[in-house]
Amino acid sequence: MRIEIDEIAKSFGTTAALHPVSFAIPSGALVALLGPSGSGKTTLLRILGGLEFPESGRVMFDGVDATGLSVQDRRAGFVFQSYALFRHMTVFENIGYGLNARPRAARPPKAEITRRVTKLLDLIQLPEIGARYPSQLSGGQRQRVALARALAIEPRMLLLDEPFGALDAKVRRELRQGLRDIHDETGLTTVFVTHDQEEAMELADLVVVMSMGRIEQIGKPQDIRARPATDFVREFITV
Amino acid sequence: MSDITTFRSATEETPLARRVLIGIAAGGLGLLVFAPLIVVFAAALQQGLAAAIASLGNQDALSAIKLTLIITAISLPLNAAFGIASAWFITKFDFRGKAFLITLIDLPFSVSPVVAGLCIILMFGTNSLVGGWLVASGYPIVFALPGIVLATMFVTFPFVARELIPVMIEQGRTEEEAALTLGASGWRVFLTVTLPNIRWALLYGVLLCNARAMGEFGAVAVVSGKIRGQTATMPITIEMLYNEYLSVAAFSMAAVLALLALVTLLLKTALELRLADQLSASNRH
Amino acid sequence: MNKPLIHRSPMPGLGLSMGITITMLSLVVLLPISALLLKGATFGLDNIWETVNRERVWAALYLSFRLSLFAALFNLVFGVILAWVLVRYRFPGRRILDAAVDLPFALPTAVAGIALTALYAPNGVFGSIAKELGFKIAYTQWGIFIALIFVGLPFVTRTVQPVVQEIEHEVEEASATLGASRAHTIRRVIIPMLMPAALTGFALALARAVGEYGSVIFIAGNIPLKTEIAPLLIVIQLEEFNYDAASAIGIAMLLISFAMLLVINLIQVWSRRRIGYV
Repeated sequence: MRIEIDEIAKSFGTTAALHPVSFAIPSGALVALLGPSGSGKTTLLRILGGLEFPESGRVMFDGVDATGLSVQDRRAGFVFQSYALFRHMTVFENIGYGLNARPRAARPPKAEITRRVTKLLDLIQLPEIGARYPSQLSGGQRQRVALARALAIEPRMLLLDEPFGALDAKVRRELRQGLRDIHDETGLTTVFVTHDQEEAMELADLVVVMSMGRIEQIGKPQDIRARPATDFVREFITV
Repeated sequence: MSDITTFRSATEETPLARRVLIGIAAGGLGLLVFAPLIVVFAAALQQGLAAAIASLGNQDALSAIKLTLIITAISLPLNAAFGIASAWFITKFDFRGKAFLITLIDLPFSVSPVVAGLCIILMFGTNSLVGGWLVASGYPIVFALPGIVLATMFVTFPFVARELIPVMIEQGRTEEEAALTLGASGWRVFLTVTLPNIRWALLYGVLLCNARAMGEFGAVAVVSGKIRGQTATMPITIEMLYNEYLSVAAFSMAAVLALLALVTLLLKTALELRLADQLSASNRH
Repeated sequence: MNKPLIHRSPMPGLGLSMGITITMLSLVVLLPISALLLKGATFGLDNIWETVNRERVWAALYLSFRLSLFAALFNLVFGVILAWVLVRYRFPGRRILDAAVDLPFALPTAVAGIALTALYAPNGVFGSIAKELGFKIAYTQWGIFIALIFVGLPFVTRTVQPVVQEIEHEVEEASATLGASRAHTIRRVIIPMLMPAALTGFALALARAVGEYGSVIFIAGNIPLKTEIAPLLIVIQLEEFNYDAASAIGIAMLLISFAMLLVINLIQVWSRRRIGYV
């Protein structure tokens, strides 16, 4: 799905989180929103997911205005930085949650839900953990479960907030490849937020560098590395 | 363009649902808590302030007030000492049966005050081994001051310890250990390191303990013998006056205790703000 | 492996703090309770059963435990709503409501008893309205129910409040992004998270209500078989110096209370284990 961001602005109180920003994400791309904390990247991601609403501007999904679309109707698979797994539910129940939450008419039958959850557990390569509770999982496993839970609703896009932030270096590298694989397999337009330039450069097709609520540069990783558009970008990518 | 400022956050209830829930909360508390409180003062003042004050001036009323103050003055420091000692023992040392000890300390919460009074009568009453000997030696416990103090201590026993234990667990042992390595003596560590850290929680526990101690009815009713002018505490006197249809007098004494409860709540709210500050400050490190 | 009873520790005051703890605990709580149990043992199981197994005693026990259960259930629902409203919403008067929740802890039970009676008696403010509608509250089981709600009111609210405060916002957002309506989120995500704490409060409220005496006897009317609570029966036996019978009823109350608390504890352990800590 193609995403267009058209003059989106947002402020919290008197501080502007986003000055009007515009850019387009081609269908099926894997995009990194890169920037230091306070750059507005998470706010932008949350606006895409329907968790915040902009003060002005529009969000278009495949050319249709989705600015006012409620979070429930948006069908954006959202992976939170803390994963936000439901800790009183098993992994299986967590992944099936979105399907079970649908109104009765749209809810798949039980057997179908079981089939889909099983398939997702295979996709994240953790077929054995369905009966466990989140407290019994490692950090990396939790992240993958959160991803599977987001995928279960057959999302139109995948949004991830610092998906590898809470993990140690080794697991982080493994899961990066995992995300790449899942993206390639599902073909979903995917946007993730990160403050780690190496992660953005290595993983994304398209990198959006942000600072202080503005876009500093948009481009392919190799182009950004070769031709940083501003001093900020040059400094930020040469750590 | 649509009016996008009216979009509702995904994690809030509708304004109607909010209003209904706030209405239930306020209405419920109004019927169950505020109304009785207002009634106490209204009934006390039904014949004017002078009549209310006059009813507190007679010999029996004054002796009840005095007795309640004496009981509180004895049981409060004792329970505070127990609370500090047990919290220190539980949080500064590792030993087997800790969970069981905590359960035993909490036991008075699940024992009816009337049963507590009954236990004390069975232990120290004239018919018991200990009590018989004590009465013979001229130190009666039941139907006398010591029994009332014991009953009060029983029902308020867990209050201070319960407030201190979580705070002391949270704060850990490192500050005390640091003081010990610097050569401070045990008492010095307690007075200069631990006590300043737990003072608000301690006060909070003592406050709760105080409110319950002054107002305890069931346990005291059983062990006091309700001797007017001798073993009748304020709550017992309220019952006697009420049963004699001396409404103004009963409610006047009730109003005194209700005022005390209000002061308790005021102090408690102030302390909670202090405690919250302290906890968030210690979480920040 | 042989674990030591007390681990060596550099902390001072082991002897003193342990001494005070054990001495006072024994003197104030354990010895008196064992005196009751001893009395029960010498009185004999058969005699206890004979004392308890009378219509009036059964009626009182049944009344006490049944109404306590209902009152605690009411407080479970009301307390969770109250905790939610006090933590999540901002409205004028919130601080006063928050402080008022503790009034039942601070107000002596005898004061609460006569105040509730004055309100809900047929000539009282609320009682007269009920009378118009053909109801009687004070001097019936409804009156006892109200008094028991009053004494148990703060427990659930105070145990649930910190948990509501700690709910991660992201968990609720996650539920919404997965397509769940607000009602679904509350039913399937929020309430299950509050349950263990709410059950703790419920158990405390229940224990308190079962043993409550001061606030109930004024409003109850104390009619044998109808509005006579179990603690009152003990008091009546004591006033007749019938210590055996009083002890028998007291032991029966203790046993039923502990059995109930055990069940609630098991439910809690089970639900805690499920939730764990993430």
